Amino acid sequence: MKADTQKVILNLPATAEFVDVVRLNLYGIASKMGFSYEDIEDMKVAVSEACNNSVLYAYGQNDGHIDVTFEIGEETLSITVEDEGESFETVKGGGEESTLHDKDLNDVQIGGLGFYLMQALMDDVSIENVAGQGTRVVMSKSLALSEERV
Amino acid sequence: MTTNKNEKFNAVTQLEEGACTVFLSGEMDLSVAPDFRLVMEPLVGDAGQDLIVNMKDLKYIDSTGIGILLSILKARHGMNASFTVEEVPPQIQKLFEMTGIAKFFAPQENSH
Repeated sequence: MKADTQKVILNLPATAEFVDVVRLNLYGIASKMGFSYEDIEDMKVAVSEACNNSVLYAYGQNDGHIDVTFEIGEETLSITVEDEGESFETVKGGGEESTLHDKDLNDVQIGGLGFYLMQALMDDVSIENVAGQGTRVVMSKSLALSEERV
Repeated sequence: MTTNKNEKFNAVTQLEEGACTVFLSGEMDLSVAPDFRLVMEPLVGDAGQDLIVNMKDLKYIDSTGIGILLSILKARHGMNASFTVEEVPPQIQKLFEMTGIAKFFAPQENSH
């Protein structure tokens, strides 16, 4: 990570109504950096999934907040989504087992797809949760990597 | 809160003989999941009609939306009734393929 990284920080109520505000900010920042339409759409889904988890599981019935930090490097956008609530369960292993590919409709369980999508759509994702202190999801996507893939 | 009018989720139901089509538009995310469930609930139980969701004007879907589609697939499958999606935008189709839900929407062979 470069030393001259610029930051944009959002502090939002942990409610479903504000997740679209995160997407709008992401769109603004990522398009300014020169990410492609497809990459921006991928990041929108990944970041929303991280926010959804905080909204759904962090604070139960209580009010809480989510901090979203965009770190704008020369080549890489890094996004951190943090809450201070109860931790949701860490995904086991790489999360590959969460897809429906090998499953019959009768065996399918709803849920768990959010984690898989985060990992599949970003270049790098790390999830830390400390019991009672909250969850922190850090994800990043690089402009250079995106161009190579095309 | 309406941050952007164009992205606001909406579902319009159109009934024809033997088929019911629900046209989705805007962003289908966690905040509107209850609205989507509410629209779909009475339609899912009607085994006599084909159920179709048109996604032509759907801008965005998250895992909550995919989860709802999956629960509808399960319910319809259990009733031997059809559930299909049409005019799925490429970005959404990509998510359907990544998660694996796409295979359940694929045209079914009459295997029995």
